[in-house]
Amino acid sequence: MQPALLDKVRGIVGSEYVLTGVELSPYVLEGRTPEAAVFPGSVEEVSHVLALASEAGVAVTPWGGGTKISIGAPPTRLGIVLGLRRLNRLLEHEPGDLTATAQGGITLEALQAALGARGQWFSLDPAFGREATLGGILAANASGPRRHLYGTARDLLIGVAVVSADGAVVRGGGKVVKNVAGYDLPKLYIGSFGTLGVIVEATVKLRPLPDDDRLVLAGFERLKDCGQAVRLVLTSDLIPSAVDLLDGEALRGLGLAAGAGVGGALLLGFDGMREQVKWQCEEAKRVVSEAGPVEHRVLEAYAREETWRLVREVGRRAFADPAAVLQLAVLPTQVTEVVEQAGVVAQRNGLKAAFAAHAAVGVVTAVLADGGDSAQPVIATLREWRELVRAAGGHAVLERAPLAVKEQVAVWEPPGAAFRIMERIKAQLDPKGVLNPGRFVGGI
Amino acid sequence: MATLTESRKNTLRRAIQAIVGKSAVVSDPEELLVYESDGLTLFRALADFVVFPTSTEQVAALVRLANQEGLPFVARGAGTGLSGGCLPAEGGLVISLSRMTRIVEVDYDNQLAVVEPGLVNLHLSWAVGPRGYYYAPDPSSQQACTIGGNIANNSGGPHTLKYGVTTNHVLGLEVVLPDGEVVWLGGKMRDPQGYDLVGIFVGSEGTFGIATKIVVRLLRKPQAVKTILAVFDEIEKASEAVSAIIGRGLVPAALEMIDQVTIQAVEDAFGCGYPRDAAAALLIELDGLAAGIDAQAERVGAACVEAGAREVRTAKDEAERQLLWKGRKSAFGAYGRVSPAYLVMDGVIPRTKLPYVLRRVNEIVAAANLRVGNVFHAGDGNLHPNILYDPRRPGEEERVVQAGAEILKVCAEVGGSISGEHGIGLEKMDYMPFIFSPADLATMHRVKEAFNPRGLCNPGKIFPTKKSCVEVGPAYRAHPIEEQGLAQRF
Repeated sequence: MQPALLDKVRGIVGSEYVLTGVELSPYVLEGRTPEAAVFPGSVEEVSHVLALASEAGVAVTPWGGGTKISIGAPPTRLGIVLGLRRLNRLLEHEPGDLTATAQGGITLEALQAALGARGQWFSLDPAFGREATLGGILAANASGPRRHLYGTARDLLIGVAVVSADGAVVRGGGKVVKNVAGYDLPKLYIGSFGTLGVIVEATVKLRPLPDDDRLVLAGFERLKDCGQAVRLVLTSDLIPSAVDLLDGEALRGLGLAAGAGVGGALLLGFDGMREQVKWQCEEAKRVVSEAGPVEHRVLEAYAREETWRLVREVGRRAFADPAAVLQLAVLPTQVTEVVEQAGVVAQRNGLKAAFAAHAAVGVVTAVLADGGDSAQPVIATLREWRELVRAAGGHAVLERAPLAVKEQVAVWEPPGAAFRIMERIKAQLDPKGVLNPGRFVGGI
Repeated sequence: MATLTESRKNTLRRAIQAIVGKSAVVSDPEELLVYESDGLTLFRALADFVVFPTSTEQVAALVRLANQEGLPFVARGAGTGLSGGCLPAEGGLVISLSRMTRIVEVDYDNQLAVVEPGLVNLHLSWAVGPRGYYYAPDPSSQQACTIGGNIANNSGGPHTLKYGVTTNHVLGLEVVLPDGEVVWLGGKMRDPQGYDLVGIFVGSEGTFGIATKIVVRLLRKPQAVKTILAVFDEIEKASEAVSAIIGRGLVPAALEMIDQVTIQAVEDAFGCGYPRDAAAALLIELDGLAAGIDAQAERVGAACVEAGAREVRTAKDEAERQLLWKGRKSAFGAYGRVSPAYLVMDGVIPRTKLPYVLRRVNEIVAAANLRVGNVFHAGDGNLHPNILYDPRRPGEEERVVQAGAEILKVCAEVGGSISGEHGIGLEKMDYMPFIFSPADLATMHRVKEAFNPRGLCNPGKIFPTKKSCVEVGPAYRAHPIEEQGLAQRF
């Protein structure tokens, strides 16, 4: 990058918000150091920085809290890291409208605190809410256990403002909960990992805070029995907000197992009116009893929150030093079988593995423990896992792995027939390819 | 608008017949008239051919033919749309999906179904109902409208307040792209990789291709349902009750408002049990667990009474519940009793702006010396002012369209949108700048370029264009299918 360009960027955001040299160590990505990290203080500043970078053909990597930055292939170019953390304001919250508009850099924790003070919440619960930013969560399509009932970002985001590659401020959607005017642009930016634009504002749907919230944990000897319990719950009158399944290794890794003989557990979230939550907890106990649980607990308050936090963070916490995390999607009915088979694969390669699933939507986090000096067993296991998932008709993304592993195992699935449309969208919205180049599906 | 020469038309007819067979092509001008409008009869456009394929392969072959011949094409479902979205604005082919009505697969264990686009919305819920499941999006036209049409318009309905609109229930689409290639977007699994092409396709009003298979989520029927009617002597108080209910942390499955003009029309037509002298009524539905539903109903009732309801009653059985819903869902049909024609608007506003905007709507319509009936999704802030008029009176239709534009301007001014579920189509293209900047529109246009670079797929919609051959009033005439009693407007 030309020194003159860096001076211009300093002129826009102020010298104290431009990091260079050794200060860049937190922003090293896949072994590469960016040329600068820039922290604009307003949408206008984001716009000016992008216009400059675009003009000069310098790559820009948007960066929220950095909690999902490990997802993606190694960048083909790394110029400016664009930190959004100063865009951290809640702009509008009208409780009667059940909507809120906030800047992209607000952390989930700060957003929830502000909404909670007025009796509402944003019903998305991905991991690391203290650091994760709203824009980052949307860009990575991050979610958590409550997606079972409340859906993912695509169900909650109703409006977005992005700064496009050339610096233009573009708005999609709006501030109302129902809106079909024009194309549904907010959907495009969800899960686009910053390759189409930088999310600077988002308007989301909210829910009233529940009167009560409990977690029912049922432990089983075998994972298979957990699977049966899931089916029983899904065909009952229960309306859980979360249906998570953990295998024995995950339970032990997170310190949630009561006894050594527990091969898996079903974690159910129930929130709503007090009377309803009470009925659901009792009914859940009755419903899952048919699958023969060896353990049954109802958690409230701090114990509940701590447990969910650990479950969400399973990718970092299942093992002291996890080697890789693969997130995979299969049909809900395939979850226990895929998890069992994947466990056998890891064992055969001499590695420990832990699994946590949002069981009723078929999304599984598979964590692989470090196997020592050689990366080979990790690579072999991940490849076999991929095959397993593909054979089931599903897909997987390598969420985290050392560079040596990423060089051997693809981060994304090979793109399908619709990929040419994705490429064209990218070419239309970022013709110079400056936004987060090389990290996304198919090398976008 | 037929501009093809006779000989070219004959050549094309033979090529189309070779794909779909003789009995699946309409090109007789009289018969084509049936397809010149959708539910919004304000606009009319004639196709050169209406074609009825029965498979993905046939749709793809038709689209490839259209590309070879440079013919515009547009998909059509049941034609219940309300923005002119499925009209052949530049002539060419109308590809009717009405013969692709199969339920390809139902997977109860994974709570999903794969259907063809011509399947009538309600027929899916009928099919899976016996096993305790249903398909949630429920537009008022659900007895006739197709799921493919719902995809194009991202249709809503009364129960979208709690359950979301079409896009929230679609997992995957088999699509014939505008160049004729068949691809899958998304699928049965969650979180497909790459850009959310399903998300951008749903609601693209047929401009990104033609969906030929649709993977939808099925929901379990709720354990309990409670339907409440709250009656008000002032429309303002009913509006305040809406905010009060939401403000108390209650999320009903549906929260609908019906005003006096509409109540009287509905009572004349069907006798559904709404009090004729009420200024407005709220139809509120709670569903979910049986536990706590009575307590919720009490909270809703209390909110209504506090806002000034003169009467709150709960449907005592399924028959009464169905009757109340019949009144709501057939309201549009009932307007025919009180007015020769009406124009339904579809603005959306933040819920808290309801009292103000309803007042403005009434002022605007009164100033134009017209009448309005309101029946709408109050809980979502999705207004449906129906401006009543007589198209035979010179100048009246222009005044209606003008008043409609003013109403949408007010919706935009309070931070709302110009369409909640009917789409832009031909009707609201010129109003897009009310809510979108040139940069916003340019971005949408770029996305369109990615899908539909030749512009043959449903041209002349969403974005303003000069090429359109669409006829716009004022010379009103009843639509042929209305005359034949085959359809009512929704």
